[in-house]
Amino acid sequence: MNLFLILAFASLSHTPTAIDFDTDVLPVITKAGCNAAACHGAAAGRGGFKLSLFGGDPAHDYDEIVNRLEGRRVNLSKPTQSLIVLKPTGELDHEGGIRLDESDAETISDWIRAGAMRQQLRRLVSLDVTPNDVIVSRFPDKVELKVEATFNDGTRRNVTREAIFYPTDPAAVQADENGKLSVRRRGRHAVVVRFLTKVRTVQLTVPLHDELVDLSKQPRNNWIDDEILATLEVLRLPPSPQADDATGLRRARLRLTGRLPLPGEVIQYMAASDPKKYQKLVNQLLRSKEFTDYWTYEFAKLLRIRSQPKEQQGALAFHQWVRQQIENKTPLNKVAVDLLTAEGDTHTNGPANFYRATKGPRDQAEYVSEVLMGVRLRCANCHNHPLDRWTQDDYHGLSAIFARIEQGRIIRVASRGEVTHPRTGQAALPRIPGQRFLNQDEDARQSLADWLLEDDNPQFAKAMVNRLWRAMMGRGLIEPTDDLRATNPATHPKLLDRITQDFVEHNYDIRHTLRLIALSAAFKRSHVASERNRADDRFCSRAIRRPLEAEVLLDAVVDVTGVSERYDGQPVGTRAVTLFNPKISSQSLDVLGRCSREDSCESSGTSAGGITQKLHLINGALINAKITAKSGRLRNAIDSGKSNSQIVNEFYLRVLGRPATHKEQTYWKQQLAADGAGERRERLEDFLWSLLSSREFSMN
Amino acid sequence: MRTLVKNCDGIRRRDFVRVGGLTALGLGLTDLLRLQAAAKNQSKRRQCILIWLDGGPSHLETFDPKPDTPAEVRGPFQPISTAVNGVQICELMPNTARLMNRIAIIRSVTSPLGEHNFGAHYLLTGYKPTPVVQYPSFGSVVAHMNKSDGVFPKNIAVPSFRVGGGRLSGQGFLTDSTRAFSVGGDPAKPDFRVRDLDFFPGVTDSRIDRRREFLAALDEFSRVVDNSRIASSDPQFEQAFRLVTSREAKSAFDLSQEPRDVQKRYGGRTIGQSCLLARRLIERGVPFVTVNNPGWDTHENAYTRLKEGYTGAKVPVGLIPSLDLALTALVEDLNDRGLLDETLIVVMGEFGRTPKLNTAGGRDHWPRVFSVAMAGGEVSGGQAIGTSDVVAESPKDHPITPADLAATIYTMLGIDPLHVLHTPDGRPVHLSRDGKVIRELFA
Repeated sequence: MNLFLILAFASLSHTPTAIDFDTDVLPVITKAGCNAAACHGAAAGRGGFKLSLFGGDPAHDYDEIVNRLEGRRVNLSKPTQSLIVLKPTGELDHEGGIRLDESDAETISDWIRAGAMRQQLRRLVSLDVTPNDVIVSRFPDKVELKVEATFNDGTRRNVTREAIFYPTDPAAVQADENGKLSVRRRGRHAVVVRFLTKVRTVQLTVPLHDELVDLSKQPRNNWIDDEILATLEVLRLPPSPQADDATGLRRARLRLTGRLPLPGEVIQYMAASDPKKYQKLVNQLLRSKEFTDYWTYEFAKLLRIRSQPKEQQGALAFHQWVRQQIENKTPLNKVAVDLLTAEGDTHTNGPANFYRATKGPRDQAEYVSEVLMGVRLRCANCHNHPLDRWTQDDYHGLSAIFARIEQGRIIRVASRGEVTHPRTGQAALPRIPGQRFLNQDEDARQSLADWLLEDDNPQFAKAMVNRLWRAMMGRGLIEPTDDLRATNPATHPKLLDRITQDFVEHNYDIRHTLRLIALSAAFKRSHVASERNRADDRFCSRAIRRPLEAEVLLDAVVDVTGVSERYDGQPVGTRAVTLFNPKISSQSLDVLGRCSREDSCESSGTSAGGITQKLHLINGALINAKITAKSGRLRNAIDSGKSNSQIVNEFYLRVLGRPATHKEQTYWKQQLAADGAGERRERLEDFLWSLLSSREFSMN
Repeated sequence: MRTLVKNCDGIRRRDFVRVGGLTALGLGLTDLLRLQAAAKNQSKRRQCILIWLDGGPSHLETFDPKPDTPAEVRGPFQPISTAVNGVQICELMPNTARLMNRIAIIRSVTSPLGEHNFGAHYLLTGYKPTPVVQYPSFGSVVAHMNKSDGVFPKNIAVPSFRVGGGRLSGQGFLTDSTRAFSVGGDPAKPDFRVRDLDFFPGVTDSRIDRRREFLAALDEFSRVVDNSRIASSDPQFEQAFRLVTSREAKSAFDLSQEPRDVQKRYGGRTIGQSCLLARRLIERGVPFVTVNNPGWDTHENAYTRLKEGYTGAKVPVGLIPSLDLALTALVEDLNDRGLLDETLIVVMGEFGRTPKLNTAGGRDHWPRVFSVAMAGGEVSGGQAIGTSDVVAESPKDHPITPADLAATIYTMLGIDPLHVLHTPDGRPVHLSRDGKVIRELFA
């Protein structure tokens, strides 16, 4: 009798609360790193054992552990002798080394002892990490995180021990296994916290200096400035002063219309005393034809508008349609719907060309996700995306939506078409990424469009607004702009959310948001650095200058010199920014590094510029032919009898958008003094050449 | 704070601490001292030609054939013996086989990164890509650290540095002046020339000088206004000016100056003539030249692309025979000119290819094990280091990471892998932090 009681007790004490495979065993396996991409979570698995990446597919993992390999991984009669325990504890040779400590090994063997079942007792519903937005006031310092999981049976559990912590910058923040963070560098840092399939990002901010900054007297033109200054205050980054009138004018002109201001414009603007002159300028620019031309160009790059191998009509129709939408102020969400659901003859129906931008359903899925969602789905081709929530089902499901689109001159939805899901070997089921599989009878593209553009799905709006910000400020609030994910936090998360919401509330009107940005004090800040904000390239303490885009630069050179550039097959006087096709032959544009639009031109040029470009500026025709041309502006100025100082002033206004300073005037007076007309002309050409080659001209 | 405390054998404590780090690199103190002494030996130039096989070359069809496997692993080609007993390579590389004594193959290179941009980044910088820091590639580091004077840019790419899909600039956080100068065009074409080296009509030497002066003045005016720390003259413009005013530069890029039989030895394809141009640049002291040979991403049509070059070619002019000619011509030519000891040659791509052929007659990406070849410089040729398993799927022994390759390459170039660079915001970055130098490679 006693023995019976003892045995009963024994078995009771070995099975306290039921161990759930999905929410108790998988976390242990994930934390131990077993299902990471470098090991058994790889697309091909490792050593014949394949788990889903980070436990994204519990059903698969259960089957693999319990049923595969003739059930040898799990030993029901002698649980501690199971392969799945022996190997990672080092009892048997294991290439991956010792991954489980005693208590973890016990969890697994206890689960096996209880029958190695998959009971799906509960599902993870949400994950909370506290604190998640820390301002570290002393430095260096330590922060302790607490991770709590909520399950669908109502239970909450502290899972800090099972969670995995990934600092995005390990040199700046070190994390131990239990969520204790040690902050080593100043600045803003992120730590990604994972438990099962949920990922949360913790933001830590360490002020860049010990001294506080007083921002009370800083200009605040709108709530964008409130958010920017709030961040600068926490970081203790002092902002640079506002740029002067000439700089402000040049910047607004270039960033809103892709053009330089004219000399008369500069003089008039600098002399005007109207306190609202800048607002009026911005409004005027937003209403101009040049605005439409330039933003058509920006969207043409994003949408990768380029000709097909043997014909250009499609690209032309696409370009014209985009231009019309911008001119008519079509809300951007409607533009997106039109693109997604377009069909018909690509030569006459512009938006149908959206489906000729790529070669096949998978490419199309990547294109749609990058362009319209700002998301790189492509990692999820071979395995669930490691850093975000996208799964293989999402990738191949989205591809399946496009598999039935015939991508020829006529875009048509065919009755058949599928992609093979690499894991199942069957046709992938059409799916809205992250949402749901689609029914047979649904119009797949319409459902996708509906989801993408519904009001409480900020994905599209956020991606677009981030790009507008980047175009205006030189760097997106999230970079790269096609890699939006929870684990790649914005520099100013609240600001981004606010601008996104404001964009949606104002009917997805790009002019509205661009105006808001243009009118902020942040936009008008000088690029000149102070000692304490010199290293800042992302918190808007000062303006970032970037090289002008190839087409904008070439147009500027044409404008300054008065000598136009010929583009193959285009009428005289065509501006580079209005070229609908990047394949139109132009050596100048190639040398200046124009984007081929094989991608969305969002990474800053890599093969652009360089010594090759400088050689061309020195010896090529681009600048040389234009400054020596008999019909050019310089020659005309000389022939009409203008003096050296008049010429210097005029070209300073044209090229740099400002008058020459006294020092500069003195310098040029000396340098341009010549014996004879021939030498004078050469010196003036060299002067203009150097202006057009200067950094001040080619940057903005 | 570092204080120098001498040990009883005269070795400074700082060096001891350094060695601690170096032991992780796989070197002992005597190795360190020897290398430091060698590095200080300025009379020995150390230059590098990187032959980059863009797209990821199949290890099974080049340096690591597996004849005793089923046809879908083995592939369409047979192995041949080489001048080194026990080492076989692909039959499409007979010249390399003949010259095997000068070449070292590493067959157990392993990486987790199977995407072009990521893989290329890892192989070319020794670091996996991270959003936090942009790491510089070998060529840019060499350009940064080489302070010698000269007309030529220190980091040159033939024909262009468009690698791994094109998102890698190579300079990382170093300045623009370290970016590779892409000569452009196609050296195999008879009208090959580097554009814009000749003066525009009407422009003369003195006008070039004047323009240089004017430009510097403008940048100086800006600099004062901007309160910026950047150098007053644009370093890329400076390099361009130097090239343009140098007769030596123009002649270096003129391949027609080479005798016809030399041109023929290298083979008439772009890779061959690019290697010939690389040799000319090495002769003129350029420290780092990348020969970029794209087209190795053979997901389909491998037989044609790797061997024939085009369908029905009577003389195979595909990627592998062309590489074979170019590589061996380069090694022999450098040797004939007494430059081989000073010139490290590295042949690699961003990953290998799947052991099993796919349904399109090709192989897909496979970073888990692949091969890299080296010659010249300090390399001890005539050996195969590391092995892959029986189906060329994983390293069987002596796994070597791209970080190890980086540490080795830097050491061979006389550069301390633990040398620290600083990013513009003050973050210290080792040239190579976690790599172990491959001892067997050294003579």
